[in-house]
Amino acid sequence: MSGILRGEKELRALADAALRASTADETEVFLNVRGIALTRYANAFIHQNVVSTEVTVRVRAVRGKRVALISSDRLDREGVEKAARDASELAALVPENPRFAGLVAPMPIPSALSAYAERTAEATPLDRAKAVKRICDPARAKGLTAAGFVQTTVGEIAIANSKGVWAYSPRTSSEAEVVAIGDDGSAYADRASRDFGDLDVAGAADEAIAKAVAAQHPRDLEPGTFEVVLEPYAVDDIVGFLSQQLTGLAIEEGRSFVGGRIGERVTGPITLVDDPFDPEAVPMPFDYEGHPATRVTLIEQGIVRAVVYDSQTAARAGVANTGHALPPNPFMSVAPMHTRLEGGDKTREQLIRDTKRGLLVTRFHYTRWVHQLRTIVTGMTREGTFLIENGEIAAPVKNLRFTQSYADALLGTLGIGRDVRLIPGFMGTSRRVPALHLSAFTFTGATRY
Amino acid sequence: MSVPAFSSERDLARRALDTARARGATYADVRFVRRQVEDAQVKNAALEMVDRTDTLGFSVRAVAEGAWGFAASSVLTAAEADRIAALAVEVARASAITKIADVRLAPVHAVTATYETPVKIDPWSLSFDDRLRLLFDADAAMRRAQPKLRTTRASYEIWREDKLFLSSEGADIAQRMVETGCSIAAESVGDGEQQIRSYPASGGRNQNKAGWEFAQKWDLAGNAPRVADEAMALLTAKQCPQDVRTTLILSANQVMLQTHESCGHPIEHDRALGTEAAFAGTSFLTADALGSYRYGSDIVNMRIDSTTPGGLGTFGYDDEGVPATTGWAVKDGTFVGYLMSRETAATLGKPSNGTMRADGWARLPLIRMTNVSLMPGKAGTLNDLIADTDDGIFMDTNRSWSIDDRRFNFQFGTQIGWLIKGGKLTEMVRNPTYTGITPEFWGSCDAICSEPEWSIWGTPNCGKGQPMQVGHTGHGAAPARFRNVKVGVVK
Repeated sequence: MSGILRGEKELRALADAALRASTADETEVFLNVRGIALTRYANAFIHQNVVSTEVTVRVRAVRGKRVALISSDRLDREGVEKAARDASELAALVPENPRFAGLVAPMPIPSALSAYAERTAEATPLDRAKAVKRICDPARAKGLTAAGFVQTTVGEIAIANSKGVWAYSPRTSSEAEVVAIGDDGSAYADRASRDFGDLDVAGAADEAIAKAVAAQHPRDLEPGTFEVVLEPYAVDDIVGFLSQQLTGLAIEEGRSFVGGRIGERVTGPITLVDDPFDPEAVPMPFDYEGHPATRVTLIEQGIVRAVVYDSQTAARAGVANTGHALPPNPFMSVAPMHTRLEGGDKTREQLIRDTKRGLLVTRFHYTRWVHQLRTIVTGMTREGTFLIENGEIAAPVKNLRFTQSYADALLGTLGIGRDVRLIPGFMGTSRRVPALHLSAFTFTGATRY
Repeated sequence: MSVPAFSSERDLARRALDTARARGATYADVRFVRRQVEDAQVKNAALEMVDRTDTLGFSVRAVAEGAWGFAASSVLTAAEADRIAALAVEVARASAITKIADVRLAPVHAVTATYETPVKIDPWSLSFDDRLRLLFDADAAMRRAQPKLRTTRASYEIWREDKLFLSSEGADIAQRMVETGCSIAAESVGDGEQQIRSYPASGGRNQNKAGWEFAQKWDLAGNAPRVADEAMALLTAKQCPQDVRTTLILSANQVMLQTHESCGHPIEHDRALGTEAAFAGTSFLTADALGSYRYGSDIVNMRIDSTTPGGLGTFGYDDEGVPATTGWAVKDGTFVGYLMSRETAATLGKPSNGTMRADGWARLPLIRMTNVSLMPGKAGTLNDLIADTDDGIFMDTNRSWSIDDRRFNFQFGTQIGWLIKGGKLTEMVRNPTYTGITPEFWGSCDAICSEPEWSIWGTPNCGKGQPMQVGHTGHGAAPARFRNVKVGVVK
């Protein structure tokens, strides 16, 4: 799908055309081209298989403190000029936003490892179908079925503004998701890579299949508070929820557990950074306003050190912009997009061995805030939950509902895995997280399987 | 307003169908979708954002060698129509290497037709100022009532989607859908507490297939002082009773979400057949349950109806060209019907009931809820229902929602609750939650309010599919009472 990319030269020419067509005081142009190819399988065959070429043209026009957005998918000269004209006209109609702090000024964009891999861009439908076959055939051989997807994406992001900002990045990603399913139990695994040639499809298949074999015939377990070993897929959920709180916007709105607590201990001995330059993730050296991204230590050995900002929240707080703007939206304008929970020194097996009686949780499902300020979340375990007794996996157990403060759970960090796993997110974001051993996690309900 | 002619798009669609057939497709359909959306949000007395989006593209869905392929693009040229059609067939051939059986589709009568959402006030015909005034007036009313609120928000969305569907079986269907949604929210913070009240539904929007008359009918400014007062009062309200079983009355907007999560999703036939197993999940309503499974009490009747006026799941034809239908999901407490596609209906030897919808031109149609509604009962008004309840809790407007991947175990939180004593609402309580197992919960339903309390609600944010799609679904609901429910999970 590399043929769908326009390249930096063409996107810059289109962005310049839009900036010229604008009659506003300030103008920002965001251009995104993406090819999404996702081969989805269930019951061990491909049932949905899609390839799409998608485009976003977004122009933000500013007249004084009047701001308007126009979005379209017409990525040609006429289309981008129309978007710029329409945004300029709309900005003349809207009331002022006294809080608007202007568009970002140009700053040098640091270099980062390329997030583009040719082998991903060139992957074909047949390549993905063969990867699915590599998953389904061994699942069948073990008497299981399988569901999931194999995906390759290719894209490019360009941001320009009338103050002179220009930022451009081509990128790729690939992912294999596997749920291996038996008559009475299932298990999940996932692998991701920028480079489809390095995507460990077999690793995902083998992990899910082996765990699904062990997950058959789960037994009932009375809910309660347990020590837990959380696989990286479950830890990713915790980091994702807490990351929403580690922003200038969350503090401003009074919903962050670290509000007024910078420098205080908020968790056990974990270190959480946002690292847009992480070579093992999907690097992106600028944010969605074209401001240079920066590496921010959010939590250091349990002490909260900082939160991230975009241009608007930074201006309101009177601090430096850290370069963490998301695409404009009314609810979450800023977020850590490349978080990494630093690995520890334990193997997964050691974390289990260190647990006298507890639960091994593969993955969480349908997690939702119950109380943001107290970081209370509810959700279910899914696809691989096991009872640990005397340092060994004793039996699969039926899924449980938890209602738990994620920050409080991290206060009881007993061990950190050394294998740090890449977990892809939305809009090119990603997280890298290890397994965790926590002293107490509260399960409040049970289900029937 | 009128349904567009789609002249040039129809030519491209016919060309794409020809190309798909020439490449070996045994079935193909083409959809062109133009979607225009305007979102506006006023936050803390200032216009936080206005975003107008206008997108247009097309997709080709094809069966070749007995398997599915799909491709989509926003480039509207003859060459691209050929490329996308050929690519859809190439993708289908790749799918076939894992095929177990050929795709079979239930028959549908191919029609030439048009459909248009009926509206009283075309939201696009109003001036921008007129639309914004609704938000500024409501926001100001919240802030006047309670100046100490941390955050106030007022938002609307207006939406127009024009769709053209052509199939290799001869269908030619053009439709125009119009939606309007609105919301206000007041957020308070203090003494380690953070609370929210929103109206008319939870934090997103209540939305209908309707014109601007829908935004006007909710009287956002008139309700704003109450919403603001309740948000502040919640900061010092008593905590919801903990870990007890009691009688629960839910507001209509909470019954709506309970219906969506615990009936709408489990009756999706793709989930029951396992094809959503890895992401959305499966369903406890498996094939052997159809026609016999005791889903709820005798008074529980759930309707599948894509003709309900105003419902977000109301249309002329679904994205497979199947006409809008009505039927039962749950009748007198028994599970009797799925939401189906042509492919899943064929496994039951039935016709599709027309529930396939895609999120725009770039996504594949999936089985989506149309309007899945709890039908009204005979319990009178909400006040009558409360008066008929000696002891319990009334919970209003969703704050938190979660349910397992087979749709058994759920836990919901609402924004506000009141204790019921002697048939009257007494003390306000904060952080109310309740939890249960779906068939046990609906089995405990002993009263549903009558027709005048029933209205059609919209959820414009239902996630499903990979790549993720956002669906717009409708749910009719009235307040209802449930006995012996576990409440108070959060301490």
